[in-house]
Order: sequence, then structure tokens, then C-alpha cells
Amino acid sequence: MARKARISDDLAEFLSSGLSIVVATRDADLNPDGVAACAARVHEGGERLTAWFYVDAAAEMLRNLREHPAIALDFDLPTSHRACQVKGICIGSRPAREDERAEVDRQLEAFGADLEKIGIPAAAFAGWKSWPCTAIEIQVTELFEQTPGPGAGEPLP
Amino acid sequence: MIPLETLAPCFQGLIPAWLCTCSRAGVPNAAIISHVDYVDARHVALSFQFFNKSKRNVAENPRAMVRLIDPDTLQVYKLRLRFVRTETGGPLFESMRLRIEAIASYSGLKGIFKLLGADVYEVLGVEPVAYEAGLAAATPGARPAAADGLPFTMQALHALSERIQLAPTLDCLLDAILETLEQLFGFRHSMILLAGERPDRLETIATRGYPEGGAGAEVGFGEGIIGMVAEARKPIRISGMMRQLLYADAVAKRAQARGLCPENRRIPLPGLAQPESQLGIPLLVRDELLGVLCVEADRSYRFHEEDRAYLEVLGGFLAIAIQNAQLRERAEDSEPLPPRPPRHGEPAARPARRARLTVEYFRGDECVLVDGEYLVRSLPARILWKILREREAGDAGEFTNRRLRLDKSLQLPPVKDNLESRLILLRRRLEERCPEIRLVQSGRGRFRLELGAELALAERP
Repeated sequence: MARKARISDDLAEFLSSGLSIVVATRDADLNPDGVAACAARVHEGGERLTAWFYVDAAAEMLRNLREHPAIALDFDLPTSHRACQVKGICIGSRPAREDERAEVDRQLEAFGADLEKIGIPAAAFAGWKSWPCTAIEIQVTELFEQTPGPGAGEPLP
Repeated sequence: MIPLETLAPCFQGLIPAWLCTCSRAGVPNAAIISHVDYVDARHVALSFQFFNKSKRNVAENPRAMVRLIDPDTLQVYKLRLRFVRTETGGPLFESMRLRIEAIASYSGLKGIFKLLGADVYEVLGVEPVAYEAGLAAATPGARPAAADGLPFTMQALHALSERIQLAPTLDCLLDAILETLEQLFGFRHSMILLAGERPDRLETIATRGYPEGGAGAEVGFGEGIIGMVAEARKPIRISGMMRQLLYADAVAKRAQARGLCPENRRIPLPGLAQPESQLGIPLLVRDELLGVLCVEADRSYRFHEEDRAYLEVLGGFLAIAIQNAQLRERAEDSEPLPPRPPRHGEPAARPARRARLTVEYFRGDECVLVDGEYLVRSLPARILWKILREREAGDAGEFTNRRLRLDKSLQLPPVKDNLESRLILLRRRLEERCPEIRLVQSGRGRFRLELGAELALAERP
């Protein structure tokens, strides 16, 4: 039975505020791989989360996850570099529903606005593909501080 | 495999990269990293600054994946890597260390945000990510603007050399260098800092492209890019300053929260308020550091590796020219000099408007205030006070560098007194802050005091 961790309400709000989300998986030979997630939302209770990926990115990642469900998600706000890492186990995937699209768009828009503050113009991310998405369901097992500097990598309560 | 050389823009640190690793137990890890350095056609290097999870993972399992974004096209690339070794010395380590410490020093993090090692990885494969094709996907057929062509033609170098040869004084030479760097090579914001009285500090002696001249602004060794260039005596080039400073600031906040460094240690330095690109070159003659030439821009990735290489070569030439001019001015020459040419494209000098000025010399602090505003301190202050007092006592107002050198009251150091550059600094501070008092060079190694206002002198403890 995998360990369980709980994401606090404050952290849950941060994770779905429109961040850079880097997601790592690995294959049978321990070769790591990484793709970008478009958005994420923590479920009630804080023990599970859903992450949405552009379908091609998800397809690449699911090849690993079907064999080895361990997954790591790094959340980072570019303007402050506040960051945290969520470790977990993939417990399912499905095509994203049409009613989830607004949430994906909202988070991407907020992320884009943050990038603009550090000089990356909107034109730079106009070509991002974000729909259709695949939703990946994740059981959270561990949480770590990831803001760069002393203390990065320490477990979060 | 896509040649790594073609990904040069990805290695400038303009857009953070990702590093994915995996422990021996099979737990993946994702991290954002500020910079990936190109090493050679088959290797890249990542900075090792903290003992973090990524570092522990590659020690157990050398396989890694880095995701890079081309800042021009926004095409995403995946690099499949294998960890090879950690370097803790040598040219690669030094070049990464200097860049990181220059950034760290802006945030008061020197010694905390530092390079522990350069982790070298073999590149096993490079793949463009088809569904993250950046601008090519957004506007098919669109290409990024071509990079600025290299301006270092033989013709331009010849013109620079000619202008330098023609400069009659050190003062004119410094202006000629910066003016030529803009007109021939397009470096719009530049400054020269020369060694001052303290062995661990440089003083801004000439600037170009700034609304305020900034003469006299000091930089300590190890502070910012200029101070790091002076300390290491090596050139440093930084692109994408803002994003790298944000990263350093995030580290600073964490360090402050843990009491590892005091708050608000950002050091005010001369130059652009928010430079995006900086390139600093040491001005060396043999082993002696005369100063630092710094060019900067408000645009990311303005300076390329070729700019660094050419400016480094030019720096050697300019340093010799500056040293020759300093030596020439030590020898007096009563031949009249041509008037100092106006500085093209620079803000007009402040007009002399005041009819009466109060000049105060504070003996304890060795500084001069004019109408209550700070003007200058240390040796330039002592010189100014001396010549103003002599003028008050009825002196004709003609001075020679030799006479100043022999005056024990000025306390010039017995060797390397840098008197000529101190006089230029004083002259420029007066032009910027007090144009009613002018020091006009009347020959090589001599100058004349001209007053456009009535002065009231007061000496304070």
C-alpha cells in the first residue's frame, strides 16, 4: 500500500493558481522523462489531484506510467520561484471533459500572465497546444519544498 | 542527432530548463534549473549548488533528461543525458562560477549562492518535441529575427585604432573609446572603471549612454559583474539577468529566513537599473589590473560569445592605450592642447547658473560639499580644496600634476598614485555637479582653474 500525504488548503490553492508544472516519470531502465502539464486541481481532502496534459504529451507519459506508476510533479511560480514537488502514484487516466476546459484555460492564462511579468511576451506562448487534454488522476504520497536555496528538498508537513 | 552547437541560444539561461532524474529505487524527480552550459559537441554541464534530490539521484543512477526551450523559436528540445563527472576546478568550473557569483553578489548572496561543482553530462540524444514547436506552430513559416551581425570588421578595428591614436589626453582617450564602441560596434551603454585609492575598489571614470554620468560611483571587488571581473581578472558575460536575479532573490529569501544572510543586501551599482545583458572585460597590462570595461543592454542575449572574445582582445589593446596615456601625462608639456571635443550623443553638460557658491571641506570625512550637496571625497576632495584655497590666497590658478605630486599635504601614495585618473574624476564630477568650477587642461600634465561664480570657502572638522 502506497504512503499517503495530504495537501493543505493553502497549498492546494497555490497548485491550481496557474503555474509551471513539470512532470517526471521513468521507464523500465530507469530512464527519466518529463512533460509539461497544462493545469492541476487538488481534490477535496487533499490526498488526490488531477493533472491535465495535452493529449500528445499524455500519450508519451502514459507509456511509462502503465508500467511504472511513480510520478513527480514540480510546481513553480516563475516570478517568485516559489515551488513545491508532489510525488505520487498514477491511479488512472481519462479524456478530459469539455466542462474541464475552462479550468485548464484559466490556469494557462494565469501562468501566461506571470510569464509576461518576467518579460516573456504573450506571443511566445501563443503556439502552446493545450486542448484536447488527457486527465491523469494521482494519489499523493509525498510533498517537498522546492523553492531554490537552503531547505529545498525538505519534506513539507 | 541534432548538433548541440545549433542550440546555442538554449544555453544562455534566458528561459529556465528542466531536469528530470530518477533514483535507483525508481522514484522520478523533476526540478527547474536556471542554466545549462554547453561544454563541447557531446557534453553539457549543469551547476551543482546544493546537495538536492537531483544530485543524489544522478549519483545513484546517472541517467537524466533535460528539457530546453529555444528563446528565439520557443521550440522545446529534450536532451537525454548520462552523468559523467563533477569538476571543481578548471576553465569550465571557473566560467560557471564567475557568472553565478556575479549574480549572487547582486542579491548579497556571495558565499551562499555559489558553485560547488560543474556536473558534466554526456549527451546521448537530442529530440525536438513535435507538439511544442513554439513559434513555428503559432505562425508557420515565421522565423525569428536574425541575430545582429558581428560588427568587428577589420575596417572598424582600424577606425578604432586611429581614434585612439589621435586622442591627445587620457580624458579624451576614455571618451573616444566609449564613443567608438557605440558608433562602430553598437554598444550603447558602456562604462570604464579604473583603480582608485583603495586596492579593492574601482571607480567609474567614464560612462556613455546613461542619463546621469555617474563618475565616481564605486564598485568593490567581487560586487556584481564588474567587481567579479576585477577579482577574477577574467571576462564575464551574462544574458537574461532579470530571470537569473529572480532565481537568486528566491534563494536570498530562503537564506534570510534561515538567518544565513542579512536582509536587503542588494548592492547599488552603477549602470542600467535593470540590465538584461552584461559583458565585463578586465583591462590588464601584463599582470596589472588597470580597470574594467563594462557594456550592458536592456535586451536579453544582446552579447554573444563572439562579442566576449573580440572585446577581450580589444581590452588588452585599450588597457595599453590607457596606461600609455597615463604615463604620457606624468610628463609635463606646455604645448597647448586642442580643446576637448564635445561628446556626441551624450546629454548636454549642466549649465553654470549660480553666481555664488558655498564650498565646504570636511576634514574628518575628507569630502567636499557644494551648497550642501556632496561633490567628491578622498584624494579628489583634497586636491580641489587645495587649489581652491590657493586661488583664494591669490594664486594664478595654473597647476601642474608634478606640483601636486610633490605636495606632501595631499598624501599621495609613493607608487601608483593614479593622480591623472583622480583629476579626470574630479573634472567630471565638477562638470556633472558643479559646472561653475572648471578644471581646464592647459597642456599635458597641467591644468587651469576657472571659476564662474563667487566662492565662499569653509573648512569643517
